[in-house]
Amino acid sequence: MARPLWTGSLSFGLVNVPVMLVTAVKDLDLHFRQLHEKDGSPIESQRWCPEDDAEVPYEEITRSYECADGTEVMISDLELEAVEPRRTRTIDIEQFVDLAEVDPIYFDHPYFLLPASADDGATRAYKLLTEVMGQTDRAALGRFVMRAKEYLAIARVRDGALTLTTMLFADEVRTAKDVDGATQKSHRPTSKQLNAAIAVIEELSCEWDSEKYKDRYRARLRSVVQRKRKGQTVMAPDAVKQPSPVPDLMAALEQTLAEMSDGPEGNGSSKRARQEAR
Amino acid sequence: MVSRGRPVETTLGAGIARGMPRSIWNGTITFGLIAVPIKVHSAVEDRSVHFHQVHAKDGARIKQRRVCAKEGKEVPYKQVAMGYEIKNGEYVVLAKEEIVAAAGEQSRLIELEDFVGAGDIDPVHYDRTYYLGTGKNGHESYRLLHDALEKASRAGLGRWVFHNREYLVAVRALAGVLALHTIRFADELVEPGTLDIPGPSRAPSRREVQMAGQLVESLRADFDPQAFHDGYRERVLELIATKARGEEPAPTEEPEVVEAPDLAAALEASLAGGSRSSAGRGKGKPSRGESGAGKRPAGKSARGKTKSRR
Repeated sequence: MARPLWTGSLSFGLVNVPVMLVTAVKDLDLHFRQLHEKDGSPIESQRWCPEDDAEVPYEEITRSYECADGTEVMISDLELEAVEPRRTRTIDIEQFVDLAEVDPIYFDHPYFLLPASADDGATRAYKLLTEVMGQTDRAALGRFVMRAKEYLAIARVRDGALTLTTMLFADEVRTAKDVDGATQKSHRPTSKQLNAAIAVIEELSCEWDSEKYKDRYRARLRSVVQRKRKGQTVMAPDAVKQPSPVPDLMAALEQTLAEMSDGPEGNGSSKRARQEAR
Repeated sequence: MVSRGRPVETTLGAGIARGMPRSIWNGTITFGLIAVPIKVHSAVEDRSVHFHQVHAKDGARIKQRRVCAKEGKEVPYKQVAMGYEIKNGEYVVLAKEEIVAAAGEQSRLIELEDFVGAGDIDPVHYDRTYYLGTGKNGHESYRLLHDALEKASRAGLGRWVFHNREYLVAVRALAGVLALHTIRFADELVEPGTLDIPGPSRAPSRREVQMAGQLVESLRADFDPQAFHDGYRERVLELIATKARGEEPAPTEEPEVVEAPDLAAALEASLAGGSRSSAGRGKGKPSRGESGAGKRPAGKSARGKTKSRR
């Protein structure tokens, strides 16, 4: 089991559930180190003062904030610490909401909350909370402090485990009103077009199966590293792929539907099979 | 897997009119033979307070220099190669362009290959969100895709090459526009079923479950994203404003620590009106005004007074 990132308690009302936070995401990315091309030695990062034209030791560094008018305000570690949230070791559940009300756009990073110990008190309180939340499909909203930052978080039950996801604050999400979403009346499809488009979508529909989709980028990067290791050359990326121009909307819809229903080669599922085989 | 309703459009975004920033990618979404020219905009704004590193003695801005560990001299970025460590200190060396090659086709297309129930993708898979705006001559096909996705309650899945990396993305109708989410792959996520969660020797009693259920219901509220704001960010900005005026920042108070009784007693006491985090307010939905900055233990009142920036 992963090392806990945080331990404390989840509290609702006067009930405390001793919990620990572990990550729900695995970092499978390939990590590279910067090297000097010429001699292959690692690149190090140096803090440099352009005024002195010299390296600056870490202790001599402070931070400054650039105000809108260009003035700089220096803020010391001590001053910043003073406004940091207290490490309360508690996730206070402030309210329970219906999960369906919370759009995933607010979801940031997922973690699991697990019982902090195997003792009966901790596991019973945990079981009680997961059972009650699971029955009602309720999600808990609360805040907690981790690494000197205060997070808004949502906790819900998946497979008997409490999944906690940190959330974005409302002012971090841009409003969709500013997007050019083609909302004029003249942009609206006819019902014939809409029905044809839905027919195309239904033809290409399947059950969501997360296992079906693989990270092809990671696989390719791994094979690039392997080929390089064997001293082979690596090919440059293909030319930019552009869509071929299509006739008008209704013609494109009709042609798509015609191709889909045109024999076993043309139906939606075999098209997908071909695409995956690529 | 959870089943999710349609998003509540009115609750989306803070609605602060700052305008949509320039697009970060232009291209075309296709489904079947239908092409939808689109522009990608970030839907999320980094609002954390950023500082510059400065030399304390003279306030000069610190520069990060890339230095060769062997020569001790600065190395221009052009001369930097990427090393993948295979053994301690032993690297496979790749040119930056060779890493770019792994991105695959430098495609300007997002082909929606599969459509799934918009609520079937568990939110743990959602990573970053972008809004899609209409591209050149694309108004009608854009509206068509939006309306069809909305009516069918579906999300389209495709691949997106962005910044030399290929992503799995889901495109769905959201708040009247099209939104694109990068999707975490299954192997990047820890399955809850694989967690070995220790269980209690005896299950919670029916009475406990019933009381806990009541307690959950008493704390039930409608989700209002506007009710929450980043208190830490606000305090940092307030500190900066205070210092900019040449004043000294005020010290903060310590919160009180409250001991909790055993499970059944805690449930009873909670239902009887006690709540550690809302002492004295008792049952009922947390009130709108207080659920944001205000709903704090009494000892934290100094923080509760932090000005709201709504």
